[in-house]
Amino acid sequence: MRLSLLATCVLLAAAAPLYAATVEVQLVAPDGKPLTDGVAWLESRDARTAARPLAGVEMEQADKRFTQRVAVVTAGTSVHFPNRDKVRHHVYSLSPIKAFELKLYTGTPANPVTFDKPGVAVLGCNIHDNMVAWVVVVESPHFGQSTGDGRVKLADVPAGSYKLRTWHPDLPPGAAALEQAVVVPPAGLQLKAALPVAGV
Amino acid sequence: MADLRRWLVAWLSPRRLHTRIAGISLVLLLLVQAAGFGAIGASIERNARDALAAELQVGERIWLRLLEQKTSKLVDGARVLAADYGFRSALGSEVDDETLNSALENVGERIGASVTAWVDVQHQLRAWHGQDAGAALGEALRPIAAELAGAPNRQPVHVLNGKPVQFVAVPVRAPVLLGWLVMGFPIDQSLVDDMRELSGLQVALMASATPTAAPQVVATTLAAERHAELRAAMAARASAAAQAASDARATVGGEAMLLRSVPLGEGGTARVLLLRSVDEAVARYERLRVVLAAITVIGVLVFAAGSLFTARRITTPLRALVRASEKLGRGDYSEAPAHTARRDEVGDLAKAFDHMRVSLASHEQEIRQLAYWDRLTGLPNRAQFRDAVRAAIAAAQATLPAAPVAVVMLDLDRFKHVNDVLGYAFGDRLLQAVAERLSKQAVRTAPDSDGPGCDVVARLSGDEFALLLPGSNAEQALAVAERVARAFEQPLSLDDQTVDLAAGFGVACWPDHAVDADALMSRAEIAMYGAKRKTASALVYAPSLDVGSGDSLSLLSELRQALERNELRLFLQPKIELATSRVLGAEALVRWQHPQRGLVPPMAFIPFAEQTGFVRQLTQWVFEEAARQWPAMRALGVQRISVNLSTRDLLDQDLLKKLDARLLHHGAPASAFCLEITESAIMDEPQRALAMLNALSEAGFKLSIDDFGTGYSSLAYLKKLPVDELKIDKSFVIGMETDEDDAKIVRSTIDLAHNLGLSVVAEGVETAPVMDRLRDLQCDEAQGYYMSKPLPAADLPGFVVRWQERHAAVAA
Repeated sequence: MRLSLLATCVLLAAAAPLYAATVEVQLVAPDGKPLTDGVAWLESRDARTAARPLAGVEMEQADKRFTQRVAVVTAGTSVHFPNRDKVRHHVYSLSPIKAFELKLYTGTPANPVTFDKPGVAVLGCNIHDNMVAWVVVVESPHFGQSTGDGRVKLADVPAGSYKLRTWHPDLPPGAAALEQAVVVPPAGLQLKAALPVAGV
Repeated sequence: MADLRRWLVAWLSPRRLHTRIAGISLVLLLLVQAAGFGAIGASIERNARDALAAELQVGERIWLRLLEQKTSKLVDGARVLAADYGFRSALGSEVDDETLNSALENVGERIGASVTAWVDVQHQLRAWHGQDAGAALGEALRPIAAELAGAPNRQPVHVLNGKPVQFVAVPVRAPVLLGWLVMGFPIDQSLVDDMRELSGLQVALMASATPTAAPQVVATTLAAERHAELRAAMAARASAAAQAASDARATVGGEAMLLRSVPLGEGGTARVLLLRSVDEAVARYERLRVVLAAITVIGVLVFAAGSLFTARRITTPLRALVRASEKLGRGDYSEAPAHTARRDEVGDLAKAFDHMRVSLASHEQEIRQLAYWDRLTGLPNRAQFRDAVRAAIAAAQATLPAAPVAVVMLDLDRFKHVNDVLGYAFGDRLLQAVAERLSKQAVRTAPDSDGPGCDVVARLSGDEFALLLPGSNAEQALAVAERVARAFEQPLSLDDQTVDLAAGFGVACWPDHAVDADALMSRAEIAMYGAKRKTASALVYAPSLDVGSGDSLSLLSELRQALERNELRLFLQPKIELATSRVLGAEALVRWQHPQRGLVPPMAFIPFAEQTGFVRQLTQWVFEEAARQWPAMRALGVQRISVNLSTRDLLDQDLLKKLDARLLHHGAPASAFCLEITESAIMDEPQRALAMLNALSEAGFKLSIDDFGTGYSSLAYLKKLPVDELKIDKSFVIGMETDEDDAKIVRSTIDLAHNLGLSVVAEGVETAPVMDRLRDLQCDEAQGYYMSKPLPAADLPGFVVRWQERHAAVAA
């Protein structure tokens, strides 16, 4: 199974450069301020099939914090939760896409957590109320996280029509990622997406 | 009892100064106290009300804070619960409604919430649980839940099922906001009890199920019986401005309460009533008022006592001075009044009083001096002498056997003459010298211890002196009197003037001559006058000297009455002309028809009348009656009526006027009347008598000298007098029958009179031989019992007729 999957990927990849474009999305707040830690991805049927689980994704806990606030993984990805702190953490999520808990541990649990349903899962630590992180599970290989200027660079995006999905942790809890239809021309696309985040 | 009343009246009578002083101060004090009491009372009232209002104000704040604290505790509790992992897991994961509800129930129980609800991030009510879960609970909760989720920092109170519920909402994070946990806690009895414990106010929780329903009592610290009253109080306030926390009065459980209504939650359906018993609050102040009243009463009593006491301190000395002045009034000058040592006004008064006392005593002494001592001579005066006589008599009465008491009275002869000739100053010095001489003659000057008292020499009046000789009888007293008389024989030399002293002395003794002092003195005086008349130097009293003195004092008033009551009768004694045996005239005599005594002899009252001056009225009466008789007399051929005049009449300036008036009244001529005057009467005041006689003679009256030969007269003087006739005294006429000397005197007198051109009347013709003899001697007229005794005026005409008849026959 994995072999065939690999072969398909190579083939597709070989054929990719012909149709690949770069999509740049700038995530801004309603007042125009760029948003960091925002996530943008492109969804399409093809993208879904092209999505492959990532490997070696870690949600590290250090200094009683998740070192990465937002992690974007494709569906099926198994995420490790190494606890680099001296104290134990009880990582949990009550999100419907993946409800799990890693009860009071240090080090790295033997078994990673596999996120196979798309959506947003919010993680916390039971004993440390301030620890919060998000895992955005997407079914698309075209995803990215915004940096300081709020830009998300999606490379090698075959031209075509997609649903641009944007998301930010500051959106109302439980709110779904925003959706907008976009057509990616071969030349690439640059756009701004405003996210109705509440004032910080 | 009567004493007590009298004492009370004396103490409390409003006229008394001390009552007034104390009363005024007391009234003022009461006014001040009342004012103070009233002011304090009003202030207490105000304070109590203000304090109550303040208490309610504080109570309201306490209630709000209490509520706040409870709420925040609930919030804290809810937060903890909301952080429970199990609970969060239950809420966060897709569990069924039943599980959710039971999770809510559980968490609600943990904290004692009556309602728990789960609201999602869209503010939708997702699950709930309530203790008294009604079907409507969900419906009721929906808006509340939405409101809370929208404004989670607010903790409103809502009324559910007629009961107020405090709602809190806490976010549930897992780790981000999952939703809102809403919890409702009943506001019930426990909170109300807490409130009471904390604030001391009574609390009532009122809620109405709907805005229009009447509020019901949910919980209260008052007894259950009060619910109705609370509802009533609420209803009463319903109309008032509900939002403003203005206090109202209500009566709950018989107590007056001040109540404040604090709204609970929105919507106006729930209220908390804070009640404070006015009575309880005021009770404390009432105690203060009672104390104040007690202080007032005690203060008033103390003040009353104090001011009464002080007032008495003023009035007691005043009363003492009143008593002292009463003593002075009684003549007791011995004691100084009290309080003279005080330095205040009372002391000044007492000192002034004392000065007055001393001065009064000395004045009294002076007056006494004046009253009892003669200023000129320094001898005791009449009053003192009289007192001394009484004292001597009393002392003599007290001893046994009673020793006699003698009084000697002396009167200086011709003293008036001395005054006239030598002047009053000389007369005074003469009196002083007499006093000196007399005093030397006093036998005893100091009282004997076992004998009678001392002799007293006194000046009674003018030139009258007296000696009191207690223990002396008449002879001894007479001897003293004669000794004094001899001492007086020494002429007195004053300023080169030598004066011969002579006096008449009268002696009277107790108990022989009189029984009391006044009688003794008066009889000594009578004796003295007797001595003067008889030119004896000293005379002892004898009743013969006394002319009707026994009844003399009453006699005067009886005489006056006699005049008024027509008790006097005019008697006429006819005078016969000896040559012709004709009734020539009549002598008018007065007789007194006393209702009790009968006919009073003239000797009994005429001398007295002369002494008292009443004789003038008598004379006028006689003249009046005589004048009235004149027409009848004239008809009978009687030529003249003779009327007696006394010395007093002669000296009366108005005599002529009065006589003329009567003459005029009766239309009689003066010549019809002959006025008879005695020798001695003329000689008493020769000059004035002469003047009057001249006037009378010029008026036409005939004048006659009565009792000729018995008085003092000088022939030289006699020839000057304008008299017309002489009347020979009866003593000679009666005596001439037997005594040749008397006969010789009569003959000589008749000759003398004729030689002087006067006619002669012989009085006292009692026998025919005398009458014949007189006729032989050429006497003109005769009067006497032989012819007729004095007849009542009415009888005279009859007599004249009879006489005429008898003697006409003889003459013929």
